[in-house]
Amino acid sequence: MEASKDFRAFYEKELQPLLVPLETERRKIKKLALTGILFLLGSFPLFFINGVVQNPVIIVLAFIFVLTGMIFLVKFSNRQKKYRLLFKESIVRKVIGFTEPGLEYFPGRAIEEADYKKSGLFLTDPDRYKGDDYVQGMHGKTFFCFSELHTEQQVSNGKQTSWVTIFKGLFFIADFNKNFSGRTYVWSEKNPQLNFLSRFFSSFARKLEVVKLESPEFEKRFIVYSNDQVEARYILTPSFMERAVKLQQMMGEGVCLSFIDTNIYVAVPIKDGLFEPALFASNDFSRLEEFRITLGIVYDIMDELRLNDRLWGKE
Amino acid sequence: MPLLIGILLLLVLVPVIIYNNLIRKKNAVDNAFFSMDVMLKKRYDLVPQLVDTVKGYMQHERTLLESLTLLRQQVAEKHAVNDSVKLDNQLQNLLAQVQVTAENYPDLKASENFLRLQGAINETEEQLAASRRYYNAAVNDYHNAIQSFPSSLVAGLAGMGRKDYFSTAEETKAVPSVSFKS
Repeated sequence: MEASKDFRAFYEKELQPLLVPLETERRKIKKLALTGILFLLGSFPLFFINGVVQNPVIIVLAFIFVLTGMIFLVKFSNRQKKYRLLFKESIVRKVIGFTEPGLEYFPGRAIEEADYKKSGLFLTDPDRYKGDDYVQGMHGKTFFCFSELHTEQQVSNGKQTSWVTIFKGLFFIADFNKNFSGRTYVWSEKNPQLNFLSRFFSSFARKLEVVKLESPEFEKRFIVYSNDQVEARYILTPSFMERAVKLQQMMGEGVCLSFIDTNIYVAVPIKDGLFEPALFASNDFSRLEEFRITLGIVYDIMDELRLNDRLWGKE
Repeated sequence: MPLLIGILLLLVLVPVIIYNNLIRKKNAVDNAFFSMDVMLKKRYDLVPQLVDTVKGYMQHERTLLESLTLLRQQVAEKHAVNDSVKLDNQLQNLLAQVQVTAENYPDLKASENFLRLQGAINETEEQLAASRRYYNAAVNDYHNAIQSFPSSLVAGLAGMGRKDYFSTAEETKAVPSVSFKS
């Protein structure tokens, strides 16, 4: 990864000229949003006055305010979508290309739903599947890809339906450095989807067994299920367990991993988007530096788990 | 009367359930031992390949290679777990020694065949370590079952005794990860 000092020079030379027109557009978009909100807010006192004096002119004026506000917000919505895409295509692509040359970036693409399901990390299938900011490339001999994902489940209580988030964050897939054929899942002990019943039914349905491992620190933080006791231990060596603990300390309690078809799947819950431009604040150097930090997280995962160590006969 | 039948049923069913549970744990130990045996066999098969690959290069290490071959023959014979552990540790030490000694032979280090074999050995060592850990975990689980009350009573009646752990010598626990990149 290129040093921050070099990035400053790159930012000043290459990115700043591109950011000038984007910044002008962002301010216009911000104005659209604020105007729309002002019109909507302005309609409230008119509705209130109409409630007191019952004047048809006031009610018409109030509806004109609402309509104008809505028009501004629709315009805002359309233009911010175009702006985000333009920003990602021109700025984020360059930041990624500079930080790690050789990586491919697809702003509109996401990890395939089939791969997400194959990871088996989430016990419920999503009813709504969204994602963007797909990146793929090689880190040494390791192929990897990741994207932002937001998966939701529709919950209905008879009267109302609502959307409940299953996962929101960074979803990462890489070629693991050892050969294996079974399925091993490493879930956080505090994972809310693993209540007593789901633990029992999912392990029964998937023909999985709990794997009890030797590291007390690891056992305190994670619960491991696998269909092959030996293979689970082959993957989760004592040193790998130590690194998984560090990874959880680094990324938070929600981190979970699975090992299927010689791939490793890592889900890291993150509240904010991966490479999203700010709309109501300036996208300055520090903002772009955050994108580099996000990219660094993925490399930290690969380095922490030593995916690039190829000592075990797998090329 | 129903209470009496209930108590009688309980008196019959509980030992049966405990006994079945103990058998499951005992079988788990046997399965784990079997999977460890498979890995030992895999390593055993790799020894002649390694000797064949390195003997052309490492002509000054004849004694080392001969002890490796001799030890392989001993490993092939049937042993008690404790003896197997000793032989297994010795074999692991010798394999590691061959890999370290190979450092002194640049041509060998560059050999594609040797690098492939080294990868296979490392893989087998890790698989073996994994199956050992599984075996020890299964033994530990079994010991907990035969020693805790009331299953200890059933285990005592069924003549279920302790099993040996497969423990490696401290110095051989870590497989040396020798880099042969020139």
